[in-house]
Amino acid sequence: MTMAAALLLGGLAHDALGQTYATGAKVGAGAAPRILLPVREGSVRFLVIGDTGTGTQQQKQLADVMIKSRAAFPYEFVLMLGDNMYGGEKPADFKVKFEDVYRPLLDQKVTFYASLGNHDESNQRFYDHFNMKGEEYYRLEKGDVSFYSLNSNYMDKKQVQWLEDELSRDDSKWKVAFFHHPPYSSGGKHGSSSGLRKVVEPIFLKHGVNVVLAGHEHFYERIKPQKGIYYFISGAGGKLRKGDVKENSPLTEVAYDKDMSFMLVEIAGDEMHFQVLSRTGETVDSGVIARQGSDAAVSPNKN
Amino acid sequence: MKPNARKLTALAAGLAALLCLSLAPRRAAAQAAGPSGEAQTVAAFEARAKDYSRLREDLEEKLPKLSKEAKPEQIAAHKETFQGMVRQARAGAKQGDVFTPEIAAVIRAVIKSEYAGQELRELRETVMEAETQGVPLRVNYPYPESGELVEMPPTLLLKLPQLPKQLRYRFVGTNLLLVDRENGLIVDYMTSALP
Repeated sequence: MTMAAALLLGGLAHDALGQTYATGAKVGAGAAPRILLPVREGSVRFLVIGDTGTGTQQQKQLADVMIKSRAAFPYEFVLMLGDNMYGGEKPADFKVKFEDVYRPLLDQKVTFYASLGNHDESNQRFYDHFNMKGEEYYRLEKGDVSFYSLNSNYMDKKQVQWLEDELSRDDSKWKVAFFHHPPYSSGGKHGSSSGLRKVVEPIFLKHGVNVVLAGHEHFYERIKPQKGIYYFISGAGGKLRKGDVKENSPLTEVAYDKDMSFMLVEIAGDEMHFQVLSRTGETVDSGVIARQGSDAAVSPNKN
Repeated sequence: MKPNARKLTALAAGLAALLCLSLAPRRAAAQAAGPSGEAQTVAAFEARAKDYSRLREDLEEKLPKLSKEAKPEQIAAHKETFQGMVRQARAGAKQGDVFTPEIAAVIRAVIKSEYAGQELRELRETVMEAETQGVPLRVNYPYPESGELVEMPPTLLLKLPQLPKQLRYRFVGTNLLLVDRENGLIVDYMTSALP
């Protein structure tokens, strides 16, 4: 496909080196989105959503794209970046804002791992479908990737100590932290959680955390690597704040605040591939990241 | 600045000065007893927090244990029953039972001494960002389920007296609450925690 044709059809995306290439066009009703990920054997494949819990038609439309994308990219689990429930947590809310929306994925035995946002009660940690096993913060391992779900609402001494202790004995190849408040953000409404960053960033740097995923801002943003760590914001899973990303922010590599979105991620060896899809099935960002300190050569257009 | 705004500003400044004057003696009293005086105030506060923690643990043990893979109906039922039991047990609880004037003064002073200038502005921004206007400040009443939580600044949490795991500090505006993280009850609160 030529660049001109791509521009006509749907737009462009950039990889980790800033290389530009064509994205897929908007997906018609019923069609599955075009997947740009390699789908390698033995890779760790997952989906990332944040700020979902509205039960709105738009959340369901995004969920439809999530469900359709699984045909070509069979992800095993979903990471939830908080604000899993808005406006109440009665049993009916869990049904309308989560179970009914993601029922096809639950039926396919896709596991959801949640973290808590500022609209979430601590008791969500007991909910079976969030797989928090009663803990506000926890670690899980998938292949050679360790995931750390943190409670950024309440980063107290106990949690900080737990994080230090866990990371210090973690010899996984990849370490990914996911939680609600973004340490770096170009959002106008919220912006960077600098107080949180002061506490967690030194720990992440000390123990070689590779990637941080956060929500809270209702848009998508890929932050330029900060002290070698890759930061992503994926907070448009159920809400959208159009035009909230500050223009010309020195933090932004790629940002998308025109529609709701989610991330697909595949970690294979020393590479992390990602693709961000919108509510209409458009690819709004895509690329590959080499694990810090590895010998993996990052070449453009790997996808 | 318009004349009415000037008058309001002067009035606010006067009220703030009066508030400081009324609070100063309590902290001064704690300080006058030396560093150990303030330490004793903090220790007494932590002891009261632990007393609450023991009370609610004893009551929770009477309930069926909530599974770590529970259904929403089970979570809701557990919370409601637990809440009712604690409310009944603390029927006479009032503001200041845990956040006594002495510890409130100490906490205000800790926040004031640790945060100034840009850091104080950032702290206020973080705290005031949340939409908590509708949260009623009533001891032994539930924090509204639909109410937004303020991100507690981690640097502040490291400086405040430590709480048992079931209790949480929570800002509502400039007021600081103690909230039970499972039954959602407001255990106590103190006003004007932020300078």
